[in-house]
Amino acid sequence: MKKRAMKSSLAAHSAPQIQAIERRLFLKQGLSLGALALLSGCELTEDGAVQRVLTSMSRWNDAAQGWLFNPDKLAPEYPASAITTPFPFNAYYGEDEVRAVDASSYQLELAGLIRDKKPWGLLELYALPQTSQITRHICVEGWSAIGKWGGVRFSTFLERIGADTSAKYVGFKCLDDYYSSIDMASALHPQTLLAFRYADQILPPKYGFPMKLRIPTKLGFKNPKHIAAMFVTNTHPGGYWEDQGYNWFSGS
Amino acid sequence: MKLLMALATAVALVSGVSAYAADSNSGPGKPMKMDEPMPTKMKKPGMKKGDVKKAAEKKQREMTPMIEKESADAPKH
Repeated sequence: MKKRAMKSSLAAHSAPQIQAIERRLFLKQGLSLGALALLSGCELTEDGAVQRVLTSMSRWNDAAQGWLFNPDKLAPEYPASAITTPFPFNAYYGEDEVRAVDASSYQLELAGLIRDKKPWGLLELYALPQTSQITRHICVEGWSAIGKWGGVRFSTFLERIGADTSAKYVGFKCLDDYYSSIDMASALHPQTLLAFRYADQILPPKYGFPMKLRIPTKLGFKNPKHIAAMFVTNTHPGGYWEDQGYNWFSGS
Repeated sequence: MKLLMALATAVALVSGVSAYAADSNSGPGKPMKMDEPMPTKMKKPGMKKGDVKKAAEKKQREMTPMIEKESADAPKH
């Protein structure tokens, strides 16, 4: 009886210490696994199963960011004196290779969960209510710049075309082959614009003529230029850089 | 009043486009050299400019049937 009591007393006292050791061991093994993963580098991450795990973790990350996203929180706006001159050009090609677009024949194509899919010409787009913003473009490469963008609120356009705003995603295809997509909550954010102007002038080719998405709540690569088509969908559309492993949500 | 403002904005933008079209800088850019490495820091080793077009075509092939099906299955407004 006395022996049994001693044994249970000993077990009660040692349990926290054993748990601490087990925790340390678990962390140590976890770190070792992490180090092994880093050491083996590319070969390990090329594996299909590892890619699937990483993709599902990234999707979880997107879902968490989507959950934390406050559709009423505005990105900071700046005075004209803060504008970066010249505003940097950035793309996967050189500035001399910017795609030339014929304004007279340009039409924005629509697809997916949209009631009225008729294509939009530039003059029709310009006739929509216009607004402007001076906001900071933040590039994933580590630089940022402030610019003045003008255009129509994307939510106004989505409403005008009868987009199903209960759908999850809006995807974009661009004339320079780039493609990307955003979540519907960010699409409906009041500062998300279909931008037709930069610094009160028609959007220059290097900044995405005839139209770019200006979304100051997300990183620069989520601001596609030279938009040719857009679609509303519940199927995750990804994006060029996103499919290379960059975080899809990439927002505040 | 709003209609007038929209009209004025449209006129201003149309004249801007006309001026833009007349600008000699609006001519076609140099054709993209698809086999060249991307200039962006975002690239991974070995990435070339032409990779974007290939990826876009693949994405288009994957997404189009799904988007069309979704659209066909959606209740009509």
